[in-house]
Amino acid sequence: MSTDRLSTTFAALADPTRRAILARLALGEASVGELAEPFDMSLPAVSKHLKVLERAGLIARGREAQWRPSRLEVGPLKDIADWLEHYRRFWEQSLDRLGVYLRELKAKEEKKRGRKK
Amino acid sequence: MAERNDPGATANERTVVITRVFDAPRTLVFKAWTDAAHLARWWGPKGFTNPVCEVDARPGGGLRIVMRAPDGAEHPMTGVFREVIAPERLVFTNIAVDGEGKPLLEGLTTVTFAEHDGVKTKLTLESRAVGLVAYAARMLEGMEAGWTQSIDRLGEHVARVHAG
Repeated sequence: MSTDRLSTTFAALADPTRRAILARLALGEASVGELAEPFDMSLPAVSKHLKVLERAGLIARGREAQWRPSRLEVGPLKDIADWLEHYRRFWEQSLDRLGVYLRELKAKEEKKRGRKK
Repeated sequence: MAERNDPGATANERTVVITRVFDAPRTLVFKAWTDAAHLARWWGPKGFTNPVCEVDARPGGGLRIVMRAPDGAEHPMTGVFREVIAPERLVFTNIAVDGEGKPLLEGLTTVTFAEHDGVKTKLTLESRAVGLVAYAARMLEGMEAGWTQSIDRLGEHVARVHAG
């Protein structure tokens, strides 16, 4: 996933209300009204959050004008979770390189000592 | 590290633990982490370089690295040292940010350096990823459990429809 796309997903997830909406949608699809209920929020306010989530690809919404149920899309969440794997690889590869670098330092040191003799 | 005030983001942390033995004295290995000139030579995945590498290794001191990938893309990261006990232990935060400085991945990393076989060093790295990456991982795990239940219910429903 590109960094831009990732940024959009992160920005959408950064809000606790939007995370709560996603948690609700993880249980099954829901209408704007159903989503507004537990949050003590106006329908337009919820709609605004849903738009952000939809733009980030985290939810998809039905076409029916009245009901327009929202449902969770797991793709972007998976992409983010995949970063944990990148994170492990980042450390493993860094430590590999540290090992190589330390060997180089040691070889240089030994060469220097050899010349001094 | 950003404060989190909702349980959805605090309870989820994912930890990477790696142990390595290096054939080098502990003071040198420690220095390779705390001296910018050394750190820039090895930090990051294979093929990456570090055009910016600033290390102020003391409690409260900052860490700022810009990694450059083989394709030329730059990946900035920042952090703050929490503990610096030479040559034994380092604790620092590490936050990968996007082009606008917004955090992508937040980590808290502890590195311990132990003497090993006299002249070698055993390094243990423990890095806890926190924030949204860990949140996404946990949410997916939760949903998998939820889906299994849904599929069970669907099975029951289909059975009922057939029976009716």
